[in-house]
Amino acid sequence: MPLRLLKFGFSKTYPEPRMFRSPDRLKSSYDAVIIGGGGHGLAAAYYLSRDHGMNNIAVLERGYIGSGNTGRNTTIIRSNYLTPEGVKFYDQSVQLWQDLSVDFDLNLFYSTRGHFTLAHTDASVRTMRWRAEVNKHYGIDSELVAPEDVKAACPEMDLNCGGHTPVLGALYHAPGSIARHDAVAWGYGRGADQRGVEIHQQTEVVGIQVEADRVTGVATSRGQIATPRVLCAVAGFTPRLLQMVNLPSPIYVHPLQAMVSEPMKPWLDPIIVSGSLHVYVSQTARGELVMGASLDPYELHASRSTLEFAEGLSAQMLELFPFLSHVKIVRQWAGMADMTPDFAPIMGKTPIAGFYLDAGWGTWGFKATPVCGKTMAYTVANDKNHELIQDFSLDRFKRYELVGEKGAASVGH
Amino acid sequence: MKQMICPINGTRPIVEFTCGGDLQSMPDPHCGDTVWADYIFNRNNAPTIKQEWWCHTPSNTWFIAKRNTLTDEVLCTYLYGQEDV
Amino acid sequence: MSTPRRLSPIHESLQQIEGTWSDINGMPALIHTSEDARIAKTLGIADLSSLGRFGVKGAGAAAWLAHYGITVEQPNRWTRLAGGLAIRLGLSEYLIEDSLSNTSSNIPSNTLPNTMVSRLAAGNFDPDQVYPVLRQDLALALWGEQVPALMLQTCNFNFRALTLAENPVVLTTMIGVAVTVLPSERNGLPFYRIWCDGTFGNYFWHTLLAIAQELGGGVIGTTSILFP
Ligand SMILES: Cc1cc2nc3c(=O)[nH]c(=O)nc-3n(C[C@H](O)[C@H](O)[C@H](O)COP(=O)(O)OP(=O)(O)OC[C@H]3O[C@@H](n4cnc5c(N)ncnc54)[C@H](O)[C@@H]3O)c2cc1C
Repeated sequence: MPLRLLKFGFSKTYPEPRMFRSPDRLKSSYDAVIIGGGGHGLAAAYYLSRDHGMNNIAVLERGYIGSGNTGRNTTIIRSNYLTPEGVKFYDQSVQLWQDLSVDFDLNLFYSTRGHFTLAHTDASVRTMRWRAEVNKHYGIDSELVAPEDVKAACPEMDLNCGGHTPVLGALYHAPGSIARHDAVAWGYGRGADQRGVEIHQQTEVVGIQVEADRVTGVATSRGQIATPRVLCAVAGFTPRLLQMVNLPSPIYVHPLQAMVSEPMKPWLDPIIVSGSLHVYVSQTARGELVMGASLDPYELHASRSTLEFAEGLSAQMLELFPFLSHVKIVRQWAGMADMTPDFAPIMGKTPIAGFYLDAGWGTWGFKATPVCGKTMAYTVANDKNHELIQDFSLDRFKRYELVGEKGAASVGH
Repeated sequence: MKQMICPINGTRPIVEFTCGGDLQSMPDPHCGDTVWADYIFNRNNAPTIKQEWWCHTPSNTWFIAKRNTLTDEVLCTYLYGQEDV
Repeated sequence: MSTPRRLSPIHESLQQIEGTWSDINGMPALIHTSEDARIAKTLGIADLSSLGRFGVKGAGAAAWLAHYGITVEQPNRWTRLAGGLAIRLGLSEYLIEDSLSNTSSNIPSNTLPNTMVSRLAAGNFDPDQVYPVLRQDLALALWGEQVPALMLQTCNFNFRALTLAENPVVLTTMIGVAVTVLPSERNGLPFYRIWCDGTFGNYFWHTLLAIAQELGGGVIGTTSILFP
């Protein structure tokens, strides 16, 4: 490192500005407590303070902000889901994304790439056609395209997949994008912080007080807090938090893994997803390929990585892109995905007054960060479910009113 | 690679197995919609030691595994109904 | 040309190989190639899908088979029968296969040969908990000194830990496909039988053949492997 740079680093003249303060003490009470400093929690804090005038809020994070799935995801943003409920919701989110960089005055590297979901069987061509029609009905840019169109956008692909599972078509979604995930957490964090919200890192919630079916406070690793409202946005930790308030839920946690390759010259512009091959891939601005597959096959509350995953995903990648056979994998990791039986989230009020849930976002919740923040802020501020999340409430299971997003969410994220 | 012990086929890599979910007992089918919904949807999914159905797929052998879902340690495996054997 | 009654799951792939063909149990089979003698010692891979095969499972299957004089005492073991072999797959499922010597290749394909498998197939399945299992396997044999090398590349199971005298059978996966493997020896060289679902046939065959060829082996005919 050049000496000059080192001196600059240590000099007090130009201190690196912090993104947000780190208050050293917890107050004894807040108007609302948000558990989980991921994108969802921080976005809710941001909109609560910006749009609803609630500033006496603490965000409690057991690690550091963005250390959960927000900082582990593969950042695909799209809205071509299968059900009307889903499509409306995600489309709002995609629209919010587009001016977030300006909102935050922070570069999120939001990059619109186009998103191909490949169909390798007649059955999936049929599902793609259905999805395209639902999407178009809601004004979303989504269409079924031929293998030649895929080839034109991605000439490096072996459309034949080694002869095993030839590509028969694809669902093309032009607005499909990627973004820089930690910047999302920092942007929301800074925006909330500037409006008076306190972000407490290294602060784990270890208990939640409920009296007469109403939340009264939370116990943390750093002391006790009184509060009438708690928003729980802890993704893979949701079952542990729900256990503290004795709420049964259908959420189950499986690890979801991902990996990146060494950087290469840019060759892959669009985002490519294949459900049959359990692969999705995009190339970052740095030139790395970011790759993921489907969920790990069994329940586990840990973010460990496995050799089976790297091996299996590499084999599938080579079906699509045989020329990558000499490319090295440089990192792999996992997050804990909070899954639901219908692949739709669980959001809104719960049987416990003042206890709000934003969970069940499993493998696809990054794209929904802005709209979750907005709708949950509304819900917490008004103690009333926002219109867009009404279909996602926890009691839908009791009523057998499932949403049915599995066809569009299972690998695609 | 992680391994698991099939009570019939012995120690095998985990990729030869599929998990069939929690071992749970079915309520009386006439229990009413609420109890039934609780049975089919809700799970005890905080990390704990669980009994789960597992299947060794090449031989289609179903058995029970006691597993710690926080550390992924398999404590023991046995054929259904033969826990003490 | 009359249409064959049965086709091997890898019929198309085999047709590209030059050799002598014959009809076995109504299935066209590659019985001999000019390379057989040369390859067999190193690593020969032969398609035995044409052999007669019969599956039965259920809690009553063992007793049912005993009526026909077939017993396999322990799970995952095999026994030689007068005209073939019987394998116990796990606790309560069985696979019986005719040997080639017990299957004449001159029988017109419209008459059923009188073999163990055809007798079982014509049996009465009325007793409780006896269920016939449709077997449409790709059945292979691997023979030669390089067989362990091929198994090391394709399978996680350590076959060297087995005692062959105990007649072990291993249910495991190779290259991602569920298989039944019967390891044994013939003329002092490893001789492995492998069965897998026929729908994986082409993938399984091509992958194994490519590895066999890298190891200096290749395809050999059905009769060459059974009657060297
Ligand atoms: C590998 C992978 C790839 C993915 N790819 C995509 C994708 O391409 N597109 C997409 O849209 N989505 C994707 N997702 C899903 C997405 O990442 C998540 O749905 C989303 O980030 C969830 O955000 P969150 O803020 O709710 O949760 P998180 O970011 O996980 O935040 C929850 C926070 O809560 C904290 N916490 C937990 N317990 C406590 C406690 N007791 N006290 C205090 N704090 C606590 C955690 O430390 C964590 O920081 C992916 C997920 C993974 C794992």
